[in-house]
Amino acid sequence: MFWQLLTNGIVMGSIYALVALGFAVVYNTTKIFHIAYAVLYMFASYMILSFYRSLGLPLLLAFLLAIICTIILSVLIELLIYRPLTQKGSSLNIILISSLWVMIVVVNLVAMFYGNETKILNPNISKSISLGSIILTYTQLAQFIISFLLVVSFLIFLKYSAFGIKTRAMRDDDELCTVFALDIFKMRIFLFSLSAFFAAVGGGLIAYDVGMDPYVGLPMFLNAVVALIIGGIGRFEAPVLGGFMIGILQSIAVWTFSSRWQDAVTFSLLILFLLVRPQGILGEKQRAV
Amino acid sequence: MNYILHIIIMINIYIILTVSTNLLVGMTNLLSLGQAAFYGIGAYLAVWALMVLHFPLIPAILLVMAGTALISLLIAYPTLRLRGDYFVLATLGFQLIIFTVLYNWVSVTRGPYGIPGIPSPELLGIVPISGLIPYLIFSLVMSLLTILIFYKLIHSPFGRVLKGIRDDEIAVLSLGRNDTAFKIWAFVISSAFIGIAGIIYATYVSYIDPTSFNLDEAIFILAAVLIGGTGNIRGPVVGAIFVVILPELLRFVGFPDAIAANLRQIIYGFSLIGFMFYRPQGLAGEYELK
Repeated sequence: MFWQLLTNGIVMGSIYALVALGFAVVYNTTKIFHIAYAVLYMFASYMILSFYRSLGLPLLLAFLLAIICTIILSVLIELLIYRPLTQKGSSLNIILISSLWVMIVVVNLVAMFYGNETKILNPNISKSISLGSIILTYTQLAQFIISFLLVVSFLIFLKYSAFGIKTRAMRDDDELCTVFALDIFKMRIFLFSLSAFFAAVGGGLIAYDVGMDPYVGLPMFLNAVVALIIGGIGRFEAPVLGGFMIGILQSIAVWTFSSRWQDAVTFSLLILFLLVRPQGILGEKQRAV
Repeated sequence: MNYILHIIIMINIYIILTVSTNLLVGMTNLLSLGQAAFYGIGAYLAVWALMVLHFPLIPAILLVMAGTALISLLIAYPTLRLRGDYFVLATLGFQLIIFTVLYNWVSVTRGPYGIPGIPSPELLGIVPISGLIPYLIFSLVMSLLTILIFYKLIHSPFGRVLKGIRDDEIAVLSLGRNDTAFKIWAFVISSAFIGIAGIIYATYVSYIDPTSFNLDEAIFILAAVLIGGTGNIRGPVVGAIFVVILPELLRFVGFPDAIAANLRQIIYGFSLIGFMFYRPQGLAGEYELK
């Protein structure tokens, strides 16, 4: 039983890692607390639903088109909301509140068009393989392999590519980047696209397994943020570590308590970390927390 | 006529909520997303005081205020050491934890089934407060009292220190004031008064369940404060009136019920984003979020 739960936790953790990494791409570099990120996660699965179920396109193509739509939405949020506010010199709290309400607007628009009820993407029960006493469905296997490969390749990409170096430079000091003639706002478009890509893949993979409703974004987002904070803000490996930790912990918490207490367990962990080690596991000690 | 009375009672409840929240958001620059949790704690404590302990009204109110203040003190201590995004996130975390507890601790709170049949309280053991007119007077007295107390508070030396923390925390520190202690006081006072809104709501509606005190409600309270405006008393009062009346007006426009709730949220959303762009101090406020 323990090994089964651990495996489930790791699979779920890989999705958390992916989604948290997408949030970290924006948060570490632009310092925007991008709550509207929650919407991208949910929006992608509804786009897949439209392309796959309503238009009858093949699954892979539907997935691809949905990712493109999500990226467009993310860039639109940046161009219409965050960029003008940043250029006006609005405070980060104002941007946070705007982001919160962008999320609420999009959630309610989706709810108006698609309805509030749960929608299913894949009506069949997924086939499964067993490794010893552990049973894994093919969907879980795909979730783990895709997110793991994406996370690892992104971390390598970040380390060695020119874009990765620019991203890390922006994380360290974005004003200095401007001094070195790096176009911050152009970079931000790439960063927002990249984060939308991670959100869309994570959202699609989960929706294919358990379906979707317009409100799935926020809980996932909160888990991702907790993963980021306990991992440590500032480093890009941190949300991955945090994501796996949250996944495994939740899976074991469900076993010991009950799934109804899952949120309370996650947030108690967050508050414990904020109290004892606010810089997270991998983070460096900062003065201004 | 009853309909209008009902709206005025709801406005009074929301005035208490927004005016107290303003002490955090507008006076101390603490963006709290956990206010609905204290509202809920107030309501559940009110049920306990009235139905289990059979307290008369005024002791019940005092008990609710003391209880909410105590719980908020426990929450204030860890959260107020944090700043900016972390503070928002910690209050949100407590909001979700308290909601989960109210929802799942079925043996105490009856969880999702809610608590029906909350009795109308009696004033001084003789005058029962039931029916719309007495409730109108009761809620009006409480909201005016809250406004008065917060007006005095904002214009007292205490309020000036809070404004100082809001505008320049380092400067306040350098003048030898303990900023954390002041923030904790602001947090506790604000929560205690939100508890009063809880007792009025619980006894007025006579049925409570945890979904009235979820994250959406917390966002709604914050929205009311930000739409109305922060930093003075006028702003939150305008905000409370605005957010209670707007959905009622939309009802008359005649949108189908299925989408009315969603549409209302969309309208709030667009108006709030608009405010953040063009008037960050809200309709009648005097402080821009920092």
